[in-house]
Amino acid sequence: MGVGDYILQGILAFFLGSELFSVFGIPVSINIAMVLAGFLIGIMVGATPGLAGPVAMAISLPLLLSSFGYHASALLPVLGFLIGIMKGATVGGAVPAILFNTPGTPDAYMTTLDGFPMAQNGQAKKALRIAHFSSASGDTFSDLVLFVCAPFLAIIIEAHLDLPEKTALLILSLSFIAAVIGGSPAKGLISTGLGLLAVFIGTGEDFYPRLSLGTDQLARGFPITTAVLGVLILGAIFEGIENLIREKRETGSFSAVPESSDQVLHWADIRRLMPYISRSALIGTAIGALPGIGSTLAATLGYTVGKSRHQKRKSPDDLDFGTGAPQGIAATEAANSSVSGANLIPVLSLGIPGNAAAVFLILAAESIGGFVPGPAVFKFTTDTVNPELVIAFGLFTAMAFANVLNWTIGGLFMRSMGVMIRIPKHMLLPSVLLLTLTAIYIQETRLEAIWFALGFGVLGYAMRKLEISPLPFVIAFILGDKLELSARRAFSASGNDPFFLFSTPIATILMLLAIGVLVYTARKRRLEASA
Amino acid sequence: MIGGPDGIRTLETSNIGASPVDNRSNSNAILGGLCVLAAALVAFVWVPLDVDSGVVEQVRRRVQIGDSLAPVTAAVFIAIGGLVLLLVERRVPDQPAFTLRNLRFIALSAAIVVAGFLIMRFTGPLTVDVVNLLTGGELQYRLLRDSSPWKFIGYFIGGIFVVAGLMAQAEGGITRKNLGIATAVVIALILIFDVPFDDLLLPPNGDV
Repeated sequence: MGVGDYILQGILAFFLGSELFSVFGIPVSINIAMVLAGFLIGIMVGATPGLAGPVAMAISLPLLLSSFGYHASALLPVLGFLIGIMKGATVGGAVPAILFNTPGTPDAYMTTLDGFPMAQNGQAKKALRIAHFSSASGDTFSDLVLFVCAPFLAIIIEAHLDLPEKTALLILSLSFIAAVIGGSPAKGLISTGLGLLAVFIGTGEDFYPRLSLGTDQLARGFPITTAVLGVLILGAIFEGIENLIREKRETGSFSAVPESSDQVLHWADIRRLMPYISRSALIGTAIGALPGIGSTLAATLGYTVGKSRHQKRKSPDDLDFGTGAPQGIAATEAANSSVSGANLIPVLSLGIPGNAAAVFLILAAESIGGFVPGPAVFKFTTDTVNPELVIAFGLFTAMAFANVLNWTIGGLFMRSMGVMIRIPKHMLLPSVLLLTLTAIYIQETRLEAIWFALGFGVLGYAMRKLEISPLPFVIAFILGDKLELSARRAFSASGNDPFFLFSTPIATILMLLAIGVLVYTARKRRLEASA
Repeated sequence: MIGGPDGIRTLETSNIGASPVDNRSNSNAILGGLCVLAAALVAFVWVPLDVDSGVVEQVRRRVQIGDSLAPVTAAVFIAIGGLVLLLVERRVPDQPAFTLRNLRFIALSAAIVVAGFLIMRFTGPLTVDVVNLLTGGELQYRLLRDSSPWKFIGYFIGGIFVVAGLMAQAEGGITRKNLGIATAVVIALILIFDVPFDDLLLPPNGDV
């Protein structure tokens, strides 16, 4: 099969999957329905302050697995649903930011700076249209970069990286994530170390499961869902409840602002916004392609670059950034939305998750089986069919389809979601906690899993209080086994060379980069502290 | 915030809901010291006592990586992080503070969840025992755990306890409205997780 055949097979696999129903004799695939459902749920979740994409992905995963089973045919509907959530939540986050000055997701904070003043000036719908247009533009651009870059990157990696280099690359990824997330490389390292330690409990090659303290409970290791959902979701819920107690946030009524006449996004507006959208899309895509750097940074950078341009080029009549400038919304939303597609570049080309949404995509793929994200996916075999490659192109089709949904019905649905802000957080957070624990239990069907998850939740809470990012923990937990296996094989293949990580120039460069990025960020931190 | 569409944003870079910082806090030094101590305990006590093979092992004249290397590497990550906190980041401004209030909050929250799930675990079997006592029957919960209404009893009562308990903690007291909402939430979860799926077991029915 040639490249074109694989692409065609992927597109057909998506559109001609199991028939759900037919319209005038035309079969509608379950995959289409799942992406649509995920996308709409994602917008709802994104529009609800206190909820966001990864929570919905975490909760829906066991239900999806139960519905579709553990067969390769489940991959496209399940992953399509999760991709739909990911994309919908990205768009939905702007709704409460613009309407109620409350960002649905933290990266929509910058959207409040101009979105809320626009809403106060009676241009709420126009602000939402700008946010949607910018978000959809950034997301589409980012996806196109993913479609082109991920296969090439994977082919280069598969062709040039052997076991020592792949081990060194995993170490570099962990080191990079530890260094850049959260601002403190020291805390990033601690988080990474804790994640590695947790995943190594109850595993290993010896007959006795290591570090299990002689107990049956630890001998089986920590289920991945308990660690990931505990640290990421439960920890955040505990922190959210505590913030409610501390802040005693008022959830009172919102004063209605009369709408001005001009709520339409004109071509002239789009022309004016495009320079900001394109710059931010580039910034967001570049940041998204690096594992571990989030869309909040992309939004901040996009906004800052946009602000600088605006100050130089604005006409006297134009509003400044921060006072209701449409360009501010465009710069922020294009930047934070363009992270999501590019974030899948390291997932699909390296098998390394760069964010929580990617973690759940990998979890789903691993649970179902038949698709292991990584460089091996993009083997363009000509004599036999590589089913993983067909799935990969099916996923690209799902993403493209989600973009079509975003451009067509996304804006309308998004604008109707203002009502979600009215769900009080003090009722929402405990409900989500029970929902998460129930989802964990039905996957593991033992109470130990609840105790583990609760323990990880307490750890996640403590980490947040001490400003230790939980994300390096989660990524280390997911990559730990892979790293150990890769190191064992590389050590063995190198003839038991203790310096196998420095045995080739590429591995040496990767290892030096791993050390360099930590030293650089630690030094930078020290200079900041002494300044 | 719980999460973001991409996750990272949620989890570390946002200032929303950040813990209060205290310019006098020396939490970095304390945390660094604790991490170095913990890493030393892992590497020099836990790993040697609780792992069968060493860092490297010789098996039939072949040297291979043993099970101890990976956890020792994890301990090295923690130790380096701790040392950098101690030596480089000890005096950075605005260090976060983990206060007694935080400790009390998380202890109470965890206690509510633990109590709720213990109620969940034992309410169903206890109800069956009471019914047996009243009717002289010989019902066994284990045989009833997949049939209504028995399978919902524990989850219903325990779930309401967890949701209403945490709401009460947030609001400073329990209200009838919160109890009603907690009941509605638990019923909704039963409808989501149990009714459409024959093969899923609500807690605690996988354990009893």
